Amino acid sequence: MSLLQSVKNLVRSHSIHVAYVDVGSCNGCDIEVLACLSPRYDIEQYGIYVHNNPREADILLVIGAYTPGWEEKLHTLWEKIPDPKAAIAIGNCPISGCLFNRPHSLVDPPVSKHIPIAAEVPGCPPRPTEILSAVLSLAPLVFKDYEVAKR
Amino acid sequence: MPLPIFPYLCEIVRLEWVRKFFFVKTAPLVTPSHSRGFPELTGKTCTHALFCMMACPAPGAIDVIKTTEGWEPRIHKGHCIRCGLCVEACPNGVLTSGRILESMFYDHTRLSFSFRIDVDTNLCMGCGNCAVACPVNKVIDAQMAYGGRASTDQLLLKVSEGKCHVLYPELCTGCKTCENHCPNEAIRVSRLLEAVHIEEEEI
Repeated sequence: MSLLQSVKNLVRSHSIHVAYVDVGSCNGCDIEVLACLSPRYDIEQYGIYVHNNPREADILLVIGAYTPGWEEKLHTLWEKIPDPKAAIAIGNCPISGCLFNRPHSLVDPPVSKHIPIAAEVPGCPPRPTEILSAVLSLAPLVFKDYEVAKR
Repeated sequence: MPLPIFPYLCEIVRLEWVRKFFFVKTAPLVTPSHSRGFPELTGKTCTHALFCMMACPAPGAIDVIKTTEGWEPRIHKGHCIRCGLCVEACPNGVLTSGRILESMFYDHTRLSFSFRIDVDTNLCMGCGNCAVACPVNKVIDAQMAYGGRASTDQLLLKVSEGKCHVLYPELCTGCKTCENHCPNEAIRVSRLLEAVHIEEEEI
């Protein structure tokens, strides 16, 4: 492994930029994601930063059961994220639709039909620790030796 | 008088503070024991009463599956909302989650079920799908034919005069099979859950 690659690995492991997008949830999971920022869980000490800008994000947290208003937009948003990137489904809604997936509802879960999902965190809502450990365990799989794996 | 820079720095940049700043102290990533997680099996025997499935508010979250050892409830992550109602509903204590079983024991509470079937006579067209699909009817009259025609009147659902009629609503087990088989959404089953307080001598 080249020196440049090891420097990249080191830097990337402490600088995970996260964007979150709510594609139609009840806001319960949004609250849990924001609770990760609070002093009790404090994701910034792990080098995870929340920006709501997909162009500077590494990881996209998808929350919600995919309502029709997101049909074009979510894929555009996913395209905007520069490589290497990964998407995590937070909560039951992007996985199964949870309580909203009933007859005559407009939601279209799972979100993995629309964008590639790398990890799923079940729960309604998941605990902040579960979100945090999902991000921390996914990040080395995606970002470590990314250039080597691409070649 | 020269500025006492060194004592000043010692006062501000304390070693303890520097250590805390550069070497993070990890937040507790453990789940506390009282947290209501996904229900887990206690090892007690499941009697296939299916109250867990009746109480579950999330679609597709729990199934009772027949294994080689017997019946076993299985929780589907991604569907389960961790409400703990299946734990409370189970008459045998097969499932456990957090402190639910302990608090039920100390508070002397349990869930009581009743089911209510409503047939919208304006929508019902008397096709008899509900009566044929109903598993309670199937036990009473296994010969029940197309259109809900049966030889007996001791049924839960029966079609007479072109409409579905609920004859013995107390037989209903709340499975909602009729609701799923109705082409017109004319039949609705509501599951009524009540937390009731039981006297100590009944336990």
